[in-house]
Amino acid sequence: MSDKETTHFGYKEVEKDAKAGMVADVFHSVAARYDLMNDLMSGGIHRIWKRFTIELSGVRKKNAVLDIAGGTGDLAARFAALVGPEGRVVLADINDSMLQVGRDKLLDQGQQGNIEFVQADAQFLPFPDDSFDCVTIAFGLRNVTDINMALRSMLRVLKPGGRLLVLEFSKPQNALLSKAYDTYSFRVLPVMGRLVTNDSESYQYLAESIRKHPDQNTLKDMMEDAGFCQCEYHNMTGGVVALHRGVKA
Amino acid sequence: MTTAIDPTLHTAALAALEAGVNRALNLAPQSKPGLARLEDCVFALHCTAPTLDVYLHPNAEGIRLAGTHQGTVTTSIKGEASDFTELATSSDPTATLINGNLELDGDSAPLVALQRVLATLDIDWEAPLVSTLGDVAGHQVAQILRHTFSWGKQASKGLTRQIEEFIHEEARLSPPRLEVEDFYRDLQELGLRVDRMQSRAERLRLRLQSLQG
Repeated sequence: MSDKETTHFGYKEVEKDAKAGMVADVFHSVAARYDLMNDLMSGGIHRIWKRFTIELSGVRKKNAVLDIAGGTGDLAARFAALVGPEGRVVLADINDSMLQVGRDKLLDQGQQGNIEFVQADAQFLPFPDDSFDCVTIAFGLRNVTDINMALRSMLRVLKPGGRLLVLEFSKPQNALLSKAYDTYSFRVLPVMGRLVTNDSESYQYLAESIRKHPDQNTLKDMMEDAGFCQCEYHNMTGGVVALHRGVKA
Repeated sequence: MTTAIDPTLHTAALAALEAGVNRALNLAPQSKPGLARLEDCVFALHCTAPTLDVYLHPNAEGIRLAGTHQGTVTTSIKGEASDFTELATSSDPTATLINGNLELDGDSAPLVALQRVLATLDIDWEAPLVSTLGDVAGHQVAQILRHTFSWGKQASKGLTRQIEEFIHEEARLSPPRLEVEDFYRDLQELGLRVDRMQSRAERLRLRLQSLQG
């Protein structure tokens, strides 16, 4: 038995140092068809969840925004339009495959000038203190090895008064919906993953990692412990997804 | 939570509405400069029946709709859905704002400017038809549509006038506007005369009282 610290990777207990590499393998595997799978899995609703995130971000012209685990750049593209040419959007992702897909997609759309692409780990953000007006992380926090460390890192790079928005799968608030959601996650998603990306294991991990992720109130408490104030959350689609918001004092 | 309904539904409804509005605005390119002038404005519409908050962010590309807004708004209006419809379709938005049931807070001039842009949308159906059907067929279909709309507008105007005439003059179901205005004028005059008579009677009563005393 190793005496190294462990964490969860889906339902498995793995050494902390190994998790980032294992998560990276998952995303290397699905990067090329990530957008297609998101649309298929959520029936396109992920766009609505992200739209609500943008509404709640309060981002305006000339703001600096950091989109962590930005993946294929859905949020970054919208933020770039909102902040305008005098603003700044940083699309950060730990995974180079995802970052490359995101960068190619945004450049193909003609998005450039106010967007930067940075390969970065959410736990060790390579930015000076008080750099951003808004930090977002959409469907990425559950893949981070140490969530508390990542939250503290996000707090550090936010300007005073800046907002953190965490969009993440959460706990359905209705027992019937919860049952249906479990069946969908563990039976339908892996099959869909096998058919579209030829990789059912990654989508099995997705379902498991969602169950291991802290529920709404636990995450809110973690944000408060990290130093955020005015923490609140909004359940969406019956709690399948929750949007947490905290402010740096 | 800003609304009682699930944010997913609220946001989805606004996204669909925004797509529809912007599609219409794209077919009316002359509206774009008017919207661009309102780029820094935010309009808050607080509908009380049904309960719904919508924030309008005009820009050079169209209008962005949001269910929440962090920050100050240029103009905030509150009222029922029917009041908003009345304002949106009004030919004199300033009068509607003053005389209607809407509660207004903030600067009304940008709101009136926005209403004018939206109320005077002149949608050009020819461009999308030409790009779908080709130059010749697209133009022909657009002509037919234009004639149909123009005939429909005329027919609707004519029909409204004839129905009005029938109700007022032929069937005498309701008096014409001028008769009603005359009647109200007479009524007002009668009211004034009664008031004068009442004060004369009061004066006489006081004089009689003083003579008896």
